[in-house]
Amino acid sequence: MKFFSFYKHRKLFFLISATLMLIGIISLFINGVQLDIQFKGGAILKYSYTGELHADAVSDFVSKKLNRLVNAQETKDLTTGEMRVSLDLAGEYGMTAAEQNDLNTSLATQFPDNNLTSVETSLVEPFFGKQFLERSIIAVILAMLLILVYEWITFRKIGGLSAGVTALAALFHDLLVVFFTCVIARIPIGDTFVAVALSIIGYSINDTIVIFDRIRENSRRLPKEPVEMVADLSIRQSMMRSINTNAAVTISVGLIYIFAARASLESIYSFALPMLVGSISGCYSTLCIAGPLWVMWQKHKAKAPKAPASKTVATAA
Amino acid sequence: MRVNKVTFWLVLAAVLLMTWTAFFGFLGIPGANKMRFGIDIRGGVDATFQPVNLDRMPTQDELESARSIIETRLDQKNILDREVTIDATNGDVIVRFPWKSDETDFNPQKAIAELGETAKLTFRDESGNILVEGKDVTKSVVEKNSQTSAYEVSLTFNDEGTTKFAEATKNNVGKKIGIYMDDTLIKAPVVEDAIYSGRASISNIGTYADANDLAQKIAAGALPFSLEARNYSTISPSLGAGALNVMVDAGMLAFAFICLLMLIYYRLPGVVACISLLLQVSGVLLALSIPQITLTLPGIAGVILSIGMGVDANVIISERISEEIKSGKTTTQAIMIGFKNAFSSVFDGNITVMIVAIILMILGSGSMLSFAYSLLAGVILNFLAGVTASHLMMRSLCQYKKLSRESFYQCLSRRIVL
Repeated sequence: MKFFSFYKHRKLFFLISATLMLIGIISLFINGVQLDIQFKGGAILKYSYTGELHADAVSDFVSKKLNRLVNAQETKDLTTGEMRVSLDLAGEYGMTAAEQNDLNTSLATQFPDNNLTSVETSLVEPFFGKQFLERSIIAVILAMLLILVYEWITFRKIGGLSAGVTALAALFHDLLVVFFTCVIARIPIGDTFVAVALSIIGYSINDTIVIFDRIRENSRRLPKEPVEMVADLSIRQSMMRSINTNAAVTISVGLIYIFAARASLESIYSFALPMLVGSISGCYSTLCIAGPLWVMWQKHKAKAPKAPASKTVATAA
Repeated sequence: MRVNKVTFWLVLAAVLLMTWTAFFGFLGIPGANKMRFGIDIRGGVDATFQPVNLDRMPTQDELESARSIIETRLDQKNILDREVTIDATNGDVIVRFPWKSDETDFNPQKAIAELGETAKLTFRDESGNILVEGKDVTKSVVEKNSQTSAYEVSLTFNDEGTTKFAEATKNNVGKKIGIYMDDTLIKAPVVEDAIYSGRASISNIGTYADANDLAQKIAAGALPFSLEARNYSTISPSLGAGALNVMVDAGMLAFAFICLLMLIYYRLPGVVACISLLLQVSGVLLALSIPQITLTLPGIAGVILSIGMGVDANVIISERISEEIKSGKTTTQAIMIGFKNAFSSVFDGNITVMIVAIILMILGSGSMLSFAYSLLAGVILNFLAGVTASHLMMRSLCQYKKLSRESFYQCLSRRIVL
């Protein structure tokens, strides 16, 4: 063997992934999931102010004080021209009058020159209605089913179902990694997360398919070689492609992260961080998870007692 | 297609023209400078609506229908990234939506007034007495009459409405019943018969669009109150000020880095890759700016993903060409075989992602639509830029003697064989 065998080291890779998942699950218990106001609803507090005020400074302060997820935006009344800061507080519960009073006092002390006055308080429902969520989930499930069918058909020569299922396994792996990244980094799950998750679905699938394409090509050329050999060869041949493409994505998203962190734009780096981790995971799961899993499936199928190979594929589900 | 030495320059000229258009606009085509940005990037308007002349709190159900009416109206205006939510304790509907790109023509007061137009729908007799109210209508849909094949609006009333409507039609046979949105007459059909079943249809409407418009107006008017904005104000971008600048700066620097990586690693195919990436980026920008699709953070994610896939297509092609050269093929052969081998992977990868984009486009709404649209545009461009344009340029360049040296097409990757 002139090159690294991904199949032989599969147990190591599975162990690494399992460890990552375990860390994720543990932090899920410790940190919990922070759902943003779009998913969970919450309270919107509006304060009028005078002079110069940075909305971010207010949101940081309120967030620390109340220990709740806060997003602040500046607003200007179109009729009176009055400046306000609007605070979105995630969480199903509102604020009691006492809490509100306490917050008002500490805001006045923290920002003495801005004359912050509470104008209005609303308790709001999630921005994403039930219908939106249901349709989105249906859309994602339907898309995955169609991907499975497509791969089943295009890769029928190399056991289409196994290619489809392992590609989806790699996809779930990457989605979980993204989700756990958000849990560990305490990034709220809101519309930004939806954007990242959708991108990672596309990225992961595109990345994995190229490996199966190479396996299909190589197994046509080398029909006598054992599956693990063909798979390892294919993975190794397209490895530089996976790494280089990933390098390009990592550079782009990494730069967004650095620029956002420098401008202390929390919203953008909470987009860039899971995206960065997700794309690296997408590259890793393609090389180290999807390929070896596919080989295991093929070997298991070969060992199975009943004979005709093409039949087994269809019943293996 | 016949390719000669000039082909490369033609493609390059086309790419440069498109890039210029995409960034600065050309001959009235709006470029990135006229892009319409979402509320998350550019900010917009924030308005709190409340019922007018209502002496009680609106119920949860009523607020929910008010919310869906406002969402429908925003969808109709092609404003996909909005935040609409309700505050049941105060009986408010809170709406946030972005500016239009042509800010000078945009009158937020007017837009808000239109949104709140969820007016009170009434059925009145010829002397103006209110017979039935919009809240008595449970359903209002367009139907096609099987006999006349004309479009009709079919109405269903609740129990109270059925009684009232039966009374009204009995007393007004041969006369007109006016359907009013607030005080505006929207339709005055003639009563042909008394209707006791609680189901009525309005015929003689015209096209499907007219019928649909009427049906929606009646459905929207099924709320027993109209809404008025209690206050409205501009609101800063939800992603924070300067989010766009950060993305643009990072994007340009990233593009430079990626080009550098491609040039150093893949040499001549790297040059071609940079040009085709430029084509792809400007293509995606134009696909967003020409139809004035609202660009939001999920939309930007779609753009990043599709450009990533564009890089991937070029990487796959360059790797395959290099492999063929290292196996001893001539440059021309290597380009031909390399493209052929690369195409099936690029095709399968892009088609599957396209499936995802199309499904999201059909079923998604709001921010998901924004993502799906930019991704779909990017994937289609991937075939055009990553495959076709790269192929043309490469075949043209290798006809120059000085540029056909095998070493120009070899990348740094090791060739792996069994």
